[in-house]
Amino acid sequence: MFMAIANSNTLNLERVLTTLKSPAGITISASIIAAVLGAIDNGFYVIVNAIVTGGMWALVAMGLALVFGVMNVVSFVHGEFFMIGGLTAYFTFTPFSDYLMGNPNPLFEAVLPILAMVASVAAGVVVGILCELIVFRPLRNRTREQWVMNSFVITLGLSTFIVNSSQFILGTDFRGIVSYWNYPTLSFFDVYVSFDRFFVFILAMLILSAFWLFMRSSKFGRAIRAVSQDETGARMVGININGIQTLTLALSSALAALAGACLLFMYPAYPTVGLGPLYNSWFIVILAGMGNVAGAAVGAFIVALLQVLTTVYFGEGWEYTVPAACIILVLIIRPSGIFGSEVRGILNQ
Amino acid sequence: MANVQKIDNFNGFQKTLDAVCLTPLGFFGLALLAVLPFIPPFNQEYLIRWMVVGLFMAAQAVAFDFTGGYINIVNFGFAAFVGLGAYTSGILAARLGLSPWFGMFVGVLPAALVGFLTGVLTLRLRGIFAAVMAWFISLAFWGLATKLVFLTEGPLGLNCPTLLQTSSNLPYFYIIFAMFMVTYIVLRRIVRSHMGLAFKAIGQNMEAARTSGINPTRYRIINFTLSCAFAGWLGGFYAHYYGILMPDVMHTAKTIEVLVVVYIGGRASLWGGAFAAIPFVFAMEMVRSVFSQYPGLNLIFYGLFLILIMIYYPGGAAQLYQSLIERLKNPFFLRLVNGVISAPAQKKIQASGLS
Repeated sequence: MFMAIANSNTLNLERVLTTLKSPAGITISASIIAAVLGAIDNGFYVIVNAIVTGGMWALVAMGLALVFGVMNVVSFVHGEFFMIGGLTAYFTFTPFSDYLMGNPNPLFEAVLPILAMVASVAAGVVVGILCELIVFRPLRNRTREQWVMNSFVITLGLSTFIVNSSQFILGTDFRGIVSYWNYPTLSFFDVYVSFDRFFVFILAMLILSAFWLFMRSSKFGRAIRAVSQDETGARMVGININGIQTLTLALSSALAALAGACLLFMYPAYPTVGLGPLYNSWFIVILAGMGNVAGAAVGAFIVALLQVLTTVYFGEGWEYTVPAACIILVLIIRPSGIFGSEVRGILNQ
Repeated sequence: MANVQKIDNFNGFQKTLDAVCLTPLGFFGLALLAVLPFIPPFNQEYLIRWMVVGLFMAAQAVAFDFTGGYINIVNFGFAAFVGLGAYTSGILAARLGLSPWFGMFVGVLPAALVGFLTGVLTLRLRGIFAAVMAWFISLAFWGLATKLVFLTEGPLGLNCPTLLQTSSNLPYFYIIFAMFMVTYIVLRRIVRSHMGLAFKAIGQNMEAARTSGINPTRYRIINFTLSCAFAGWLGGFYAHYYGILMPDVMHTAKTIEVLVVVYIGGRASLWGGAFAAIPFVFAMEMVRSVFSQYPGLNLIFYGLFLILIMIYYPGGAAQLYQSLIERLKNPFFLRLVNGVISAPAQKKIQASGLS
């Protein structure tokens, strides 16, 4: 689709029109128009908010789409990886941050948030590997029958277990921070953006590109794509299926944990914080087409915009009801998702 | 199982048992349960209350298993359908003064309608769409119940008139006992019919079912709608038993409770979840009261149980029971566990490879 736009210097108007008329084209154009109208009505912050949160939802939703594509697991434990990331970042960041209050050190102050994020990625990797080794692999070894429903139910069990263990150990306190960096607010075109949000957005873009490169050209990325396309075939050419499944879950939980760490200043960590991200990423994945990783990245921005507009026009508390109505529309009109077969995702290239 | 009687010479008792789809063992178990509120350790008010909760859970488990076990679709928004029936009946009774006895049946309509629409929308797709969509719908209704304060009083709770003007739990025990029996008998009879055979076929192998001329979408919608209708009916009892309704009745945690009970009891058996419900509720209430300083501890157990059962014993209690009765040799016990007519029927089913 983007190729079509790139080639339009030959004035191939017809192709551009076809692209615009496809479901993906219509949705993307409609959301751009909605964003512009919302920005005119309420100020530019609508777009900024949508882009900043959209970048992070993209990370969470891509992980979910990846797990579905490769492991065929409908994961309901994904939000808990987000929570674990937030908690790890909080417990890494606050002690040092308190220490820095007494003995200021500009360099350490600049690096500390990044350390917290790295720690949460590490935590995500560890939890992902543990989940695969303790839960998914024994299940896979025992039975492959009705795998989708069984693994779905087991992720429900995992999610209940992790949420309530966290509540049991740490209580229901909200563990949040005001901001990572105390740098002055940046301003673009009269819109003020805190340095945190700016950094988080840049980081999301970097990770998205790195992830894309990883999936496209690295040996592991190609192996992951191969498994998602045809597991038996992948096994025949000598790919270690178990290793790839572990890698996939570790990767996806690390992405979710990173998002949890990055958004700690917006979503303080508490036991059930994962519900929102989980809901969003499921919303994104169904909207974009199940298992379509690239579509999930684009869909994340659309969903983030929809949520910002919902909060502006309907108020708080409607964030579950309005998206559910939208999903019903998507399922009626196009159950395979808006990018279902149009954009060949990273996985299918 | 050669010592099982012929189908054509059984007495009235056996005929009745067959009509209500019980084995003699099941009948005696239920008879024991019916007199349990009068037997000393159980005749205390709080234990009867636990049993009411347990039977309510059992009835929900039967309705849930009807979908989850047979057509293999986990209705992950089950609590919303219970809540929909509860709120309909509760609002009608509290705002318009409709009798709760009548309102309970009115509550079936919205639950069945929403279930039907969800089914029409998602059941033509892969099963997981229905599960996720039901979850979305449950969260949407949960949001609505919280937000539409003029109708539902939101998180403060809606005061519904109770079914009876009594503080005793005993009458409620028999009401929910009857409701449980109706749910079980109706759904069991459907499962035993031709339609039930189609459900099992769809749950086990969709392609094979389609090849044999079954329209999967149609049967799945019928199944899903029926299960939701019963959920709505049971919700009416919930509203008029507790007398107060909060949006949390629709919360996902409630669905997970039912799910855990069904999976411990054993999927695709209907009775498994019902059998597991009362001991489970008792165990969890004990955990809750002994470790009252740690709220949520019982939920950790829910999660653990679910994971362990799914990996190591996916058949649950029903599978255990099945493997035990296969070892039985004594004709008396054989008749006790098999009943009279259900054994040949079972044989037939076993011969056709569906069990």
